[in-house]
Amino acid sequence: MYLTSEEERIYDGEYGWARQASMKILVRLGDLFGATQLEPIESAHISGVSYKTMGDASLDFLNALASEGGKTQVISTLNPAGFDPEYLANRFPEEYREKQLRIIDLYETMGIQPTLTCTPYYLRKPQLSGHLAWAESSAVVYANSILGSWTNREGSPSSLAAALVGKVPNYGMHQAENRQPSLLIKVEANLANKTEFGALGIYAGKLLKDRIPIFGGLSNYVNDDLKQLAAGLASSGMTSMFYYSVPCEKGGLETVSVETKDIKDTVEGLSTASEVPDLIFIGCPHCSLNELQSIAETVEGGKVKRGIELWVCTPRHLKQKAANYVNIIEKAGGHVLCDTCAIVTWIKNLGVNTMMTNSAKAAYYAPTLNEVSVTLAPLSKCVEAACH
Amino acid sequence: MPLEIKTLKGRRVVPGRRRGLALVSMRPISFLGGVDPNSGVIIERGHDLKGKNVKETILCFPYGHGSTVGSYVLYSLAKKGLGPKAIINQTADPVVVVGAIIAEIPMIDQVDIQQIMMGDDVEVDCDKGLVKIVREGKSKPCI
Repeated sequence: MYLTSEEERIYDGEYGWARQASMKILVRLGDLFGATQLEPIESAHISGVSYKTMGDASLDFLNALASEGGKTQVISTLNPAGFDPEYLANRFPEEYREKQLRIIDLYETMGIQPTLTCTPYYLRKPQLSGHLAWAESSAVVYANSILGSWTNREGSPSSLAAALVGKVPNYGMHQAENRQPSLLIKVEANLANKTEFGALGIYAGKLLKDRIPIFGGLSNYVNDDLKQLAAGLASSGMTSMFYYSVPCEKGGLETVSVETKDIKDTVEGLSTASEVPDLIFIGCPHCSLNELQSIAETVEGGKVKRGIELWVCTPRHLKQKAANYVNIIEKAGGHVLCDTCAIVTWIKNLGVNTMMTNSAKAAYYAPTLNEVSVTLAPLSKCVEAACH
Repeated sequence: MPLEIKTLKGRRVVPGRRRGLALVSMRPISFLGGVDPNSGVIIERGHDLKGKNVKETILCFPYGHGSTVGSYVLYSLAKKGLGPKAIINQTADPVVVVGAIIAEIPMIDQVDIQQIMMGDDVEVDCDKGLVKIVREGKSKPCI
């Protein structure tokens, strides 16, 4: 991989250990995956924030970079943390709180904005064809597919390395020829809600490996539906992009069909619970303004039952913007949470044994990451279960 | 019993040489949510390696999937002495690769892992991109 003389000086340590270590990670990735040079990036989005998912060893890694003077060179945002300051912070052991705040503090020391959301594109929409170094797999697929930006599915440490250098090696999704579809997925099922879009993602992710699909036959969708599809795909597979309209008759592509039964089986397969839920979680990935509106409309006039919690997770700036919807949800007894979500907080410590969600991604991870059983169902059913 | 030795070729991802027993799956692994960071045991629902421990194995799987935090899980496992001795993939993905880089776990990819059987004594030379399998005779079919 070609390095400019400036990049070589970073590699040789002239700008300190943090940038040198970051550059070494990027060069090794670039050499391995066939990059020709480093590409300047518009922004970095960094995963690996919740102390629950990161653990102590990774904290040491962050500490080393921050204490050696690592500073981000581009706009950099952060994924959700293990709790929000308002509702959850005081419900966990002191150690969890201290370590979580320490992690956020280390990132802030490096100049990274504590946005604490998995949907950074609601805060700031990246440019068409702009190069990014984003981790958070659902945001990667969303950025490549819906926003038309160019990013690989960075691991947490490489997204951070890219932020500290301000560049990424230009392999994979940074090359036009690698952004071509190689499989047509004919969706014969009529997807009725976001849960089914997410289930389509989980189903397709398993058979795709790293191939880029075109989903043919989707209709009446909005970006929030595609967000669920992106999140599902990224959970079960390593795909970084999909197409969702067939621009012209694309001949010669291998074709597979997805039937109604496949979607139904996927939703059922992701549901492990038979009990009544303790927690109903909406907002994986974090809710958009439109989603907050439709949740408010669905819960309006209802009251969350005793013994059940209803969580709606969204980015902080959207909670502020959507004060009316937030009031309706909270008046019904729901909680609109920022900075976190049910997957990256310690719901088991809160006494949750059974979670209900409308998100296929959340249902995919919760049984192992949170040790809870799960019911996956559309928003209307979730609200029905939550409220009188 | 006669010794059967088979050599497979691959591509160096992270340098190093290790020898150990193979833990093999043809299913992808997500380190976040798929492997218990406190024990190294695979916990992914429906995974054919569920209940098996990755600790000190030569871990063979086709590719990584899922959360990008998987890199840190791999790093944490290694720092606690619970990581695999080496990783063999068919197609390396950036999440597993960067985890292996910072954890300094030798790794090789572009290997036909179908040729490796569970429990094989495997010597991985990631520098040269070689996997040597030492096997006592042919494994007998189950009756």
